[in-house]
Amino acid sequence: MSAIDWTVYDRPELRDTVSTDVGGGRREVLIGADGMHCAACVGRIEKLLADVTPDPRISLTSRTVEFRFDPEQAPLSEVLRRLDRAGFKPQVLAQDGGLQGQTAERRDALARIGVAVICAMQVMMLAWPSYTDGGVIDPGIDQLLRWAQLVVATPGVFYAGWPFLRGAWLAIRGRSLNMDVPVALSISIAYVASLVRTVLGGGEIYFDTATMFVMFLLIGRFVESRTRAQAGERLRLLAGRRKLTAQRETPDGTLETVPLSVLAVGDRLIVGPGESVPVDGELLDTAAELDEALLTGESRAVLHRSGDALLAGSVNLGQQPFALRARSVGASTWLAQITQLLQRAQTQRPRFQILADRLAGWFIFVVLLLAAGGAALWWHAGADHALSVALAVLVASCPCALSLAVPAAIAAAASRLARLGVLAANPAALSRLSRVDTVLFDKTGTLTRSDLTISGVECLDARDEAECLALAAALERGLTHPIARAFANAPSRKIALDQRQVPGQGVSGTIDGAVYSIGAADAAADAGIETVVLLRQGETALARFTLATVPRPEAAQTLTQFVGAGIAVELLTGDSDAAALALARQLGIDEVRARQTPEQKLERLRELQAQGRTVLAVGDGINDAPFLAAADVSVAMPQGAALTQTRADLLLIGDSLAALPPARAVARLADRRVRQNIAWAIGYNLSVLPLAMAGVLLPWMAALGMSLSSLLVVANALRLRAAMPPDTAPEPRPPLAEAC
Amino acid sequence: MEILYVLIPLGIVLVGVAAGVLIWAVKSGQYDNLEAIGRRMPDDEP
Repeated sequence: MSAIDWTVYDRPELRDTVSTDVGGGRREVLIGADGMHCAACVGRIEKLLADVTPDPRISLTSRTVEFRFDPEQAPLSEVLRRLDRAGFKPQVLAQDGGLQGQTAERRDALARIGVAVICAMQVMMLAWPSYTDGGVIDPGIDQLLRWAQLVVATPGVFYAGWPFLRGAWLAIRGRSLNMDVPVALSISIAYVASLVRTVLGGGEIYFDTATMFVMFLLIGRFVESRTRAQAGERLRLLAGRRKLTAQRETPDGTLETVPLSVLAVGDRLIVGPGESVPVDGELLDTAAELDEALLTGESRAVLHRSGDALLAGSVNLGQQPFALRARSVGASTWLAQITQLLQRAQTQRPRFQILADRLAGWFIFVVLLLAAGGAALWWHAGADHALSVALAVLVASCPCALSLAVPAAIAAAASRLARLGVLAANPAALSRLSRVDTVLFDKTGTLTRSDLTISGVECLDARDEAECLALAAALERGLTHPIARAFANAPSRKIALDQRQVPGQGVSGTIDGAVYSIGAADAAADAGIETVVLLRQGETALARFTLATVPRPEAAQTLTQFVGAGIAVELLTGDSDAAALALARQLGIDEVRARQTPEQKLERLRELQAQGRTVLAVGDGINDAPFLAAADVSVAMPQGAALTQTRADLLLIGDSLAALPPARAVARLADRRVRQNIAWAIGYNLSVLPLAMAGVLLPWMAALGMSLSSLLVVANALRLRAAMPPDTAPEPRPPLAEAC
Repeated sequence: MEILYVLIPLGIVLVGVAAGVLIWAVKSGQYDNLEAIGRRMPDDEP
């Protein structure tokens, strides 16, 4: 491959899209380094970047490098050139931003949790004597313990509890109520009342209540935000892998690398072997073969002739670069239109969330009213008692267990799913997964393997099967064409010299002095289900290979399990009728729709949803993206288009459909846990609230009860990680990183 | 039991130290990436 012109990344318009300003003239950028394999590579990259940035964040698992640089002193192109020369195959990833401060946020949360736990434990220990020996304790020691609690509780409330105090203050200033308001109110009432009583030296103190409250709420929030962040991280990396530059031919015949954003209609562009087409355009060379599987679902290579329209995102399968004339750029390309369709499909979802937010506002209002009511009711018994009742009401009504009920179960289910080979990118989809009653499958790459497989060999001459395979494999070695990939696994010790690929016809080469060729037998004989390829020596045909897309080995069993569970299964594909019907017969699917455009797929989905069905959609291509986005639950295959994967609810990282039925079982189990948890939490709150109002339940009991109730909810959720749905042993997952 | 007047303040000081060390460890990135550390070979560079 020719040297890449990295200086294009120094042009302001591209630099500003791939990196974000972090202040002080410095910018932050995320780079994929596929050539990084082991810990030694990490050390080398650190050394390469030593004079640019002091602390790059290098991740071996995701093979990325994130660092800050000063464009004035060290241009990005210089860094990229260094990495490229060292063999790390740098790839600048597009940034969507918004996740930059994640590390700082996580560190902050951990520090606060740590302090909260330490303070809560210590305050409990210091408070213990007054609970057990109340009355007989030496007054001097009692006072000492009070002051000690005050000292320890202060950081527990003001440092660890700061997020709640701040959140509440912001909400009140914005004239609204959020969950932080009652929390902040109860911890500040508990703290201030205890402070006054410690200084005056008498009466009940609530430091233990305040610190324990902060600790449990912080842990709850952390669990929830981690689940979201983990899924988000992977998606951010996927979203970055889109093409940002193109090779443009200047009037004097030289090539320049330019950002996509500056391309104009009519520009002459060059697409190298293995590269993807940057914008929709018209082919200028006589012929080219392209892989459009991810765009249209067409499983075979598509041959285009001069003047044909090419779609952005399709991949050049030939050995030679080809030229095209840009016909539509920016927002008018097919790919951009799909993206738009996708966004429209996505915006029609979250009604439930708005409702929940509105309800929460009312709930808090009622709680505050009840607390004030409780205090007023007991005012006659003295201000002390009234305060104690108000505090007990605030603590008892805290929906702590309720707020943990859903995230804890979802976090546990997500970790359970990850072991099955399913990444829950959108954890909220789990509850919908448990209700699924219809599954829509895409064909190519989803129910079938994305590559062709040799299904038959017929020898036409004296040579035997093994030798013919070896000859064919040698001819096709190193090529990216789907036909060539089918031969990639055939054993061969032969070497083809002078290997030449002609678009639409095949490959020729010289092996042991004789000229061989391999190519499609006859376009007319090609029925659309299988591809027939002929191996020839000169004009003599040696063998006929039949290539077919075979269903994934686990597909049939997965479908049987779904049908057995009473779930309707349907096949929607952009591929031809014959291919779709053949597969459907093989797998026993009754409902088949072939030659579907993305719009038609979306329409069919809406039709099913209008009938009240909960639809699970499985797909891999960009043409599947809109209908996946609109589905109740969407599942993407790991080898599909990045765009599709980033929008899917679940990602099959184990590359096996067999994980789907057990995933559904886990989701059903999680749904049951969520229901149990919610029922328990609401039941608990409702039953202790009257006790608190009646003055029977003291604040410390309320805090203890709330803690135990939260623990119960978490423990119930964690049972999900251990429980194994029957007859669904997980596939062993491939190790993440290979040896160096 | 007069010794408590020494031990309890001492205990508080120790708690303060523990909390301080924890905050330092978290903020200096010790808990940022728990899985990658194990993969990293001992670096012979100073």
